[in-house]
Amino acid sequence: MLLAAHHVKKTYELGRVRVPVLHDASLTVREGEWVAIVGSSGSGKSTLLHLLGGLDRADKDSGPISFAGEDLRAFRARRENLYRNRDVGFVFQFYHLLPELTVLENAMLPALVGLSRLRWISERLALRTRAAELLETCGLSHRLNHRPAELSGGERQRVAIARALINKPRVLLADEPTGNLDIHTGGGILDLLAARHAEGLTMVMVTHDAAVAARAQRQVRIVDGRVE
Amino acid sequence: MYAPLLANRYLTSRIIPFIAVAAVALCVALVIIVVSVMSGFLEMVRSSGKSLTGDVVVSRPITGIPDYLELVTRIEALPEAAAASPLVETFGLLQMQYGNSDGGKQIEMVEVWGIDPASLDRVAQYRDKLYWCAPSASELSTLAEDDPRRDAFYQRDEAGMSLQTADGKDGVVLGIELSPFNHRERDGSYRTLNPGSRQHDAGYFMPNAGAVTLTLVPVTDGGSLGGEKKRRFSVVNEFQSGLYQIDANRILVPIGVAQEMLRLNEAPIVSREQVDAEGRPLVIGTSPARATTIVVRAEDGVDLLVLREAVRRVYAEFWRERAMDPKRLFETPEPDSVDISTWEERLADFIGPVEKERELMRTLFSIVYLVCAGLVLAIFWAIVQEKTRDIGILRAVGASRTGVLWIFLRYGVLIGIAGSLVGVLLAWIVVSRINDIHEMLGAPAPLWLKSAAGLAVIFSIGMTVRGVRRASALHVVLWSFATIGFLLVGVALLLHQGFLVWDPSVYYFSTIPSKLDLVTAATTMLGGVVFSVVGAAIPAARAADTDPVQSLRYE
Repeated sequence: MLLAAHHVKKTYELGRVRVPVLHDASLTVREGEWVAIVGSSGSGKSTLLHLLGGLDRADKDSGPISFAGEDLRAFRARRENLYRNRDVGFVFQFYHLLPELTVLENAMLPALVGLSRLRWISERLALRTRAAELLETCGLSHRLNHRPAELSGGERQRVAIARALINKPRVLLADEPTGNLDIHTGGGILDLLAARHAEGLTMVMVTHDAAVAARAQRQVRIVDGRVE
Repeated sequence: MYAPLLANRYLTSRIIPFIAVAAVALCVALVIIVVSVMSGFLEMVRSSGKSLTGDVVVSRPITGIPDYLELVTRIEALPEAAAASPLVETFGLLQMQYGNSDGGKQIEMVEVWGIDPASLDRVAQYRDKLYWCAPSASELSTLAEDDPRRDAFYQRDEAGMSLQTADGKDGVVLGIELSPFNHRERDGSYRTLNPGSRQHDAGYFMPNAGAVTLTLVPVTDGGSLGGEKKRRFSVVNEFQSGLYQIDANRILVPIGVAQEMLRLNEAPIVSREQVDAEGRPLVIGTSPARATTIVVRAEDGVDLLVLREAVRRVYAEFWRERAMDPKRLFETPEPDSVDISTWEERLADFIGPVEKERELMRTLFSIVYLVCAGLVLAIFWAIVQEKTRDIGILRAVGASRTGVLWIFLRYGVLIGIAGSLVGVLLAWIVVSRINDIHEMLGAPAPLWLKSAAGLAVIFSIGMTVRGVRRASALHVVLWSFATIGFLLVGVALLLHQGFLVWDPSVYYFSTIPSKLDLVTAATTMLGGVVFSVVGAAIPAARAADTDPVQSLRYE
């Protein structure tokens, strides 16, 4: 099992109000698998994805979430950063690109995070080439020096995918990657992701769109914070 | 490696860092300018109190100190002392040559100093205080074209130094503000005015034809008044000490004249019992001349309290030698009855309020400093808060908390340094040019400036109309405010007929202090950087501590 969640619980505290989102949610993802998490709005599917990606913390009485046998709860800060940087790649519904950086720099960002100044000097050219190639496969070779504000929604999501893949992660976590795009553009994004999956990338994708979920190998439904 | 890239991008790709730099610069400049000018002003007030006096003053009013020349010699022999000069200090009545506007003679109660010009020059730069003198080459370049001192007729250096008229008679030097016909100009220089026409008139130049009558009343050892002594003197020069109270109340006469009029000069001592061959009281000795004051200048770097103690020791020894002499014919005042103090102790009444004012100013400006610090903090808080989502993205791709913090520390440091440097530069320009700026404010606005304001109004009205046509609310609002702003500036420039904040004829100092206070500049600069860094670091640390998904949700 590459990624596994067992009896995971998550409760948000909104002021004095406690809102339980996940109750005993369990999920396993095998290496090379493409899993779609589906469910209605507010069912807790994005929360589960965030917990799997180490972007949020489960409740203290929650069960474990493990990656390649390692319990995420045992991660210290350095290992947690490394996990987000190298082991998983994240694609968000709203792209979340840095507006001050160019397309190429946004795509390189996770690689830059992992580089010291010395390694940057020695690996700069190789990294640029890799990012440019990745963007080319995403159909953005003509947009390398543009800023995110100059791109369409679909183009921005392609940059986000390139950014998620730059460090060659073992798992790609995508939260409604086509949720903000029209059907045609969304289809193109799914094709891009499908091509990566075909190359062996493990993917977990959250969607509320049945047609999008149908592209995955396996669908997991969350209803009221529980995986059915 | 991402930290420098992002810090640089945040700095260069948006306008807000420039606003932050401007805010830091203005805060830094504001504090430095105000503190520099106020400190300079207070220092000027304080040091002017020392004008025409020494670092340490030995004083025995009324009856004076006999054998004072011997005492002066002994004091000058001290390694701590550079020079010493005797004075005779008293009060008198001065009757001016010219009448008042009501026709009566002008009579002033004045402080009279009998001086030895040569030694006083060594102690208190007496020559530099004489007003009617030949200007040096550097002074010449700053004198107004119509300044009388450019003319050799008005240059009375030697008469001032000798306190004698050309025909060898004793003369006096008046404080420049004593004569009602010396009119102080805006640049701090003087013109001799005809009281009728109010025009420059050499006929009212005191060292030319001015004469005064001085009345002094000697006081006996027993404290009773002797008969008043009245003498007429020619005015040979006038002096400007830098302090109005001195310049309006003091006259300088030769020390011998003051001694003679106060009966402090050398005189025979006669026996009460014995008579000479002619039946007159027998002369049994001589009472030496006396000085009421000795002013002492310290050697460079000598602590004034050290000099004061050394002078006290010298006086104690001087007195002991005389008191031990069984054949003494006159008494030397005991050390306890002679005041030996530093100039600051002597002028405590004057300096005390100045010092209090300085402390008050420091307190007030620490509040201003805190307000500026709060402003810088608020700006950075807003900037970093706006970047919370970016912090979430960075954390989501694996950036560490310290890495994120470092981006904003860098950002804060760079903006703080840039802002502080610009602020110091701005402050330096304003402080070094403050007198020019003041002069500019003192004159009506030039035509080009009024025209520029008019053109700016027309341009901004045009831009407002353009905004209306394009239906751009932002353009209309911004340019409407600009129009109102330029209009107000234009009206203010039209109404401005010159306004001197610091009128030297009122404040007496001819120039505004224009020396940058380096300690304040360095402290304020450091403060600018520190507050920028703190302002950036606190919200950045808060955002970095939050789970990435929380930061990503930030709106």
